This record gives sequence, C-alpha cells and structure tokens, in this order.
Amino acid sequence: MFSDMSAGKPGSSLLCRPVSEDQAPVFERVSPAYNLCSERYTVGERSFSRQYAHIYATRLMQMRPLLSERAQQKWGSDVLIRKLCDLQTGEQCCIVGTLFKRMELQPSILKEISEEHNLLPQPARVKFISDTDELILEDELQRIKLEGNIHRDKCVTGSVVAVFGAEKNDGKFTVEDFCLADLPLQTPRPVLTSDRFVLLVSGLGLGSSNADSMLGLQLLVDMVTGQLGGEGEQSGAANISRVLLAGNLLSQNTQDKDAHTKPKFLTKKTQAGSVEAMRLLDELLHQLAASVPVDVMPGQFDPTNYTLPQQPLHRCMFPLASVFPTLTLASNPHQAHIHGVRFLGTSGQNVCDIQKYSSMEDHLEILEETLRLRHLAPTAPDTLGCYPFYQKDPFILEECPHVYFSGNAPEFGSKLITGADGQEVLLVCVPDFSSCQTACLVNLRTLTCEPLAFSAFSAHEEDESEMNVSH
Amino acid sequence: MDELYLDNIDEFVNDHDKIVTYKWLSLTLGVHVNTAKQMLYHYLDHKRKESSAPLHATYLVSGKFVDNGQTSHKVSVVKEDQLEDVKSRMSLVVSVHVYSVQKALLKDSGPLYGVDYDAVKDNLKNCSRYSAIRCASAVPRSSVELQQARPTQPAPAPEPEHKKSTTNGDATPASKPSTKPQKGIMGMFANKSALKNQDSGKEVKSEQKEDAPVVDEPKSKPAAKANPMMNFFSSQAANKTVKQEEAAPSSSSAEQQRPSSQPEETQAAAAAAAAVEPPKNSKKDSRSKTKRMEDSDSEEEKMDKKKRRRIKKPEPDSSDEDVIPDSPQQMETREASPSPKKKVESVSQSHQGNCEMKTRKRRRVLKSRTFVDDEGCIVTEKGYESESYSEAEDDVQAPKHAAKDPLPAKQPASSKQDDKKSQKKASANSNKGTKQASIMGFFQKK
Repeated sequence: MFSDMSAGKPGSSLLCRPVSEDQAPVFERVSPAYNLCSERYTVGERSFSRQYAHIYATRLMQMRPLLSERAQQKWGSDVLIRKLCDLQTGEQCCIVGTLFKRMELQPSILKEISEEHNLLPQPARVKFISDTDELILEDELQRIKLEGNIHRDKCVTGSVVAVFGAEKNDGKFTVEDFCLADLPLQTPRPVLTSDRFVLLVSGLGLGSSNADSMLGLQLLVDMVTGQLGGEGEQSGAANISRVLLAGNLLSQNTQDKDAHTKPKFLTKKTQAGSVEAMRLLDELLHQLAASVPVDVMPGQFDPTNYTLPQQPLHRCMFPLASVFPTLTLASNPHQAHIHGVRFLGTSGQNVCDIQKYSSMEDHLEILEETLRLRHLAPTAPDTLGCYPFYQKDPFILEECPHVYFSGNAPEFGSKLITGADGQEVLLVCVPDFSSCQTACLVNLRTLTCEPLAFSAFSAHEEDESEMNVSH
Repeated sequence: MDELYLDNIDEFVNDHDKIVTYKWLSLTLGVHVNTAKQMLYHYLDHKRKESSAPLHATYLVSGKFVDNGQTSHKVSVVKEDQLEDVKSRMSLVVSVHVYSVQKALLKDSGPLYGVDYDAVKDNLKNCSRYSAIRCASAVPRSSVELQQARPTQPAPAPEPEHKKSTTNGDATPASKPSTKPQKGIMGMFANKSALKNQDSGKEVKSEQKEDAPVVDEPKSKPAAKANPMMNFFSSQAANKTVKQEEAAPSSSSAEQQRPSSQPEETQAAAAAAAAVEPPKNSKKDSRSKTKRMEDSDSEEEKMDKKKRRRIKKPEPDSSDEDVIPDSPQQMETREASPSPKKKVESVSQSHQGNCEMKTRKRRRVLKSRTFVDDEGCIVTEKGYESESYSEAEDDVQAPKHAAKDPLPAKQPASSKQDDKKSQKKASANSNKGTKQASIMGFFQKK
C-alpha cells in the first residue's frame, strides 16, 4: 500500500523549527521504461465514403477462427460448425456469428422523422432495453433468431459469439449453450523488485461552473510533484513513475450546445467555453509535466473528434506544457507498456454505451464482459460512433493487457481476474474526479490498485457538525 | 538559519492580510517546500507563545483510511480544530504539516486554491524548482528541438507525397492527407513566422534556406501576375499555354528548393494540356478547373465522385474551390469560408491566389467619360472601361466590344500596376475589401 510505504520513514516531522537549509531532501523521480503502442489507434487519412458494414465483415472474419477453436475446446473437437446457409432442421451444431439485438426503444432516426409513425419526441432514457427485445445472430450471408439459454439482456449488438443448439421447425435457433472468445494470450509481465506506481485519473472536469474540485485537483498535482506531505510521502510520490489522464479533462459545461443553433452574428464576440478550460488544463499539465511523465487521453467532452478511436489532442493547444518531452498526447483507446506492464484502456465511452443497452450496471462487470468478448467496443458502430474501418477492426484485443482500465466511472472499482491460460488482468474503473475526488494508484510490482482520495473542508460541513452538537 | 523569515511571514499575514500557504511562501522566499512548511510552523508557534494575536492555520493530514473494508490513501486539508479528529479517524497517519496561516478564520477552502493558483501562475517556470522531487527527463526542450520534433510527426506520410504544384509559388507544406487536419489546426493557431519555420523544418534544411522560399515567392509572383492579366483577354487555349510557361519559370526558380517538384511540373503541364475544357462562362473557372485537376493529380486523390473536398487544409485556393463550374456564386461563398484560413498563409501565397481567381479582378464596365474635345466642347461619352472590382459582385458582365476596343487595349498596361498595388493588400483585408467594393459597385452601376 502506498500509505504503508510512505509512512515507513521515521524521519523528521515537519512540525518543528526549520533547521539549516541544506537538509531539505530532494528525491529523484523513477523513470520508467515506456513504450507507446499508438499505431493501432491513430487513423491516418480519413475517408467517410465507406459503409459501416465492412467493419462487421472484417470483425467476423477475424474472430471466426478464434471462436471455432473455442467451440471445439468447449464442446468437443467433433462438433459441427456450420454456416447459416447450411443449417438443417433439427441438427445439433454450432454456429458463429455477430449478435444483433433488436430493441424497440433504441433511438432510430428513421422512426423519428417518419411521419406515418407520428412519434412524439422520446423522453431522455437511461436504459434502452425492454422485455420485447429479440436476439438475432448474423453471419456473412444470413441471419436467424435466437432463443433459449442465452442471456438476452446481457448481450449487446456487435458481439461475436458461438452458439450451440439446433434449428427448430419454426425457423428459430434454440440455444443450448454459447461461448465467447475469452481472453487472448498474454506475455508474462516482468518481475519488479521495488514498488512502482502509475496514477490513473479521469474526469478532471475543468471549466465547469462549480469549482469545488479545483482544490482537490491542486492537492493531487502537489502530491504527485512532491510538494505536499512529509518526507515519507514525498519519497513515496517519487515512485510514481507515470500519470495517465483518462479522458474528460474538460467538463460537460464547456460543450456549448447553442453554438450549433445560434446564428453566427450573435456569437461573434463570445468565446467558446472550452478555450478558458484548455488554458487551465495547459497550466495544470505544465505543472505535472515538469515533474512526472504524463499521458493525456481525450474523452467525450474534449476537443477532438467524436468517433472512436479519438485522436490525440493537438499539441498546439498546450503551448506551455508541450515544451516538455514528458508530455505524451495519446489516443482513446490507449495502449502502452510501462515498465513492461501492458496498459490498455479507454475513457469510458464504450462502457457507458454498453450500460445503456444492456441490463448490466456495474462498470467493472461490463469491463470484464468486454474482455471476455475480446472486443473493446462491441456496440461500435451501431450505437457508439466509430470510424468506418474496412481492413481490420482495431478494437479486437489481440494480446491480453495486464492492466485494463476505463475512465469516468461513477465510483472506484478494481478487480483482478484470471484467464484460462494463466492470464492475470487487473481491471480498474477510474472514477470521475470532479465528483469523487478520487484517483487510482496502480502498483506495478504487485498488480494491485488503491484509491487515492482528496478532500478539503467547506462551510456546510461545519454547519452539519454544529447541528449534531446542538442535540 | 537566520530568523528573517519570521518577520517576512509576519508582514505577509498581518500587514498585507494575506493567506500564506506553504507553496506561496516557498515560491516567494525561494526555499524548499519542506523548509517553508517548517517555517510556517515555527512562525505559528512563535506567535502564539508571544502574543495572543488571532492566527488561524490549516493543516494537511494524509494517511491510510479504511472505509467499509476499502483501504485508501486519503489526503485532506483540515482546519485546526478538526485536526485531531481527522487524525484519530485514520488508521495510519503518514504526514501532517501546516498548510496555511492566515489572520481570519476560513470557512471554505476555496481561497486556498486561489492563492496557490496565483502563486503558480506567476512563477510558472519555477513551479517545481522547490519541490522535493526532481525528474531528470522533464527538461523543457529548446525551440530548435521543438521544430525538429514537429515535422517528425507527419514525416512518414509526407515523403511519398512531397509534390506541390508550384504554380502557386507556394510554401505550403506538401499535401499529406494524414497531416491535413494537423496542418489545418496549426494554420489556425500558428502565426506566419511559425508557418515559415514549419516549412524549413519540414524540408529539413538549415535556417538560411528559410529565406530562400520567401525570396522565391517574389520572383514567382511577377511571373504569375503577368499571366492572369493575359488570361482575361486571351482564349482558353492561350490560357493553358501561358500557364505552362508560367509553370516553367517558377519551377526553375524554385528548382533548388524542390527538385522533386519538377517532374511534378511536367506532370502538371501534361495534365493541363490534356485537360478537357468544357465551355465555361468565366475564365476564372477555367483556371480553377485546371488548377484543381493539377492539384488533384498531384495530390493523388482521385475523388472525382466527390464534389467537395472536405478536409483540404490551407492548401492554396483551388482545392477549396467548387468543382461545379457554372455557379460563380458558389465560388464566392466558398471563398468566404476558407478566407480565415487564408489569413494566416503567407502573403505571397494569397497574392497568387488573388491574381488567379480571388478577390480583385478586372472587368469591363460601362462608364461615362467627360472630356474636352478638339473643338473645346465638353463631351460626355459612354464607354467600356476596365476597372478592378471584387468578386463579391455579380459576374454578369456580357462584354460588349462595340467601339471601345482601343480603350481596353490601353488599360492592361496601367491596370497592371493598379492590380499589383491592389494585390499587395493582405488577404486579411480581402473580406472587408469585398464588402466595401460591393457597396461601391452598387452605386457605380447607376
């Protein structure tokens, strides 16, 4: 634990008179071996003239062999793996395909603008699932309805699965069992001799109208840069080898919705809300980058493209901070090796989207589900915006990460899961800092994660305690 | 250690009524943060023993905190009266120190943030000088290193596409589709000097050669300028040959800089010659079509189905221009939108763009001329004269050649000078210029 390590020093307390000047200690920051694997998620030339069907085609093509292998492992090597066009009624076999969940409540632009439906605008919903949902399996040529032993509410559109069962007379496929692609292989992580930490923060929420979290943010920066705390804590902080900002650096308030609807002549003198917020971010990053290597991932409300994979924020927005070589502007999703430990994660858009279209609520559970599906964002491009890839689907996990995180979760969560081939993955749900004032500290030696909470005092807390006393 | 700091802190707290945080003190006095914390403690202690002056302090407590089975490391700023309480709730206290000292009792921790923010803002360069952790790799890069670092980002993509039609005489970066978004944003945020720096860095040349592109532009400028004048009065075929001639001298002048663009030039010339020119209303459009085809060839983007180029960045001119040849209005509107981008491009570039199809042009207008003839009578005649106008106006001038042919012949000579002068205006004014000219044009038509 970070606390235990930092408290170990019995050294001088800071509640004393200062002694001579020289005795102020300075610790060296540990420098990690860092390797950024960014080629996968950087989109070069972009052409939107293609249809999205190609992603599904290539996804199925890439995952079919994996699933066939898993199916044979699970149901015996003599199980029949058929394509939908070769199905025969009553024959027990296994089919591999992409799931499609037909949801009545799924927002559809065609329904909205169709006059014959006469639909009133729907109220904002949190979940779009209902009891009338249907699951359909599609392969390259055909599709078939599924029923039976399959968790309809937990499945989402776009996941590639293998189902085992038989086709009944009514044209539907009755599922007896199903299997997912499960975790890919993992290269074992190196054994570290001393504690090395990586700090994960997300949801800084700069530029919002309430500034409650700003002091917490300042405390975080001070702690990481070694200004806060006693000597023990400072030497502990020197072991934080990297800081990863996982998205939503700007708050939702900076997204000015009026900008689209207001005519230009009214908005001539007004500045976008994000300009001031970016300046704040630049100063913050300057302080951080002067002391620790930082990776910055964009999120849902940050000034970069909307579709996944989000491209890194441009360095021209960080005139102060980009002079430091320690600043790395990363894409979302982000993949990197730190001290040989493989980190993979997103800013949380994929998890939130699955949460909306399935019955799962816990971000950690959803994270595990995506890992088992071997796909970062199965709902892309159906309900989650993504770039129309056609040659390969970069969201398919090819190698298992050691730390798999997602940002902007409502609360902190972390779990260690193991795979069938001995893989060990630490799942981390990084909480939204602007609401929880909590960050995550991952210990690379033990592959554990602990929350780091910051708090300050405020007026209404005092009132509450006074009320208690009055009883 | 001398005790001067005690007086300093006393002055800050009592006389200036400031909130003195450890960070602010360390930056102001230039001491290590831990020393500053100890100084604050000493001052607090000293003052309290000495007199009962009302001083308040906030403390920072950090340690292990167990909450529902979940252990976390908690860092909090607390008021003095809550200090013991918070300490007792923690299972293991890691550090305690004075956070700030101030005269008034703080109800809210908001002002603490304000003080630290101001302190850091004033001392941005030194913000981690007094901290307890030094990072070896966090050394700010010098500007030279920055420039070298910049082109390496777009380096892989541009190499195969390092071709540019130099009829624009441009110094824009070669068209790299992958970096177009970057360059576009860079164009918006960077100033002209940065753009020039980019160019030199991109071509991986030393600082001296930076001047060369600038020098090149004035040279190619007059060459290019001659041609639009002739273009307006010659046929389309002559247009193309003139263009090719123009291409040759400008490419030769830029030969040193862009050896790879020469094959490009021949390719462009071939493309221009081979281009099928459907009959068009205005010569402006024909030029744009030629240039566009050149550009499209040169940039290897056969987007013939696409009518509009979306992500074309501060590429000169024509790539932004509309493909549809018979709607000059559309060209004008298109021109309005890329014009903010034009503003940051180098002036010479915009001149090229200007003289080819942009803001100021010459046309023949029916005007009344009043003069005294041989017999001493004042005569008023209507005649066609060439005058410069801006593109915002309507393009519907059916040239009536009538009896006024000699007049136009005289005009080119004088108008060339005028045109040069008019084109010397920066394109930043082009928007305003077009608006004003249109108002003037309204009155002149009468």
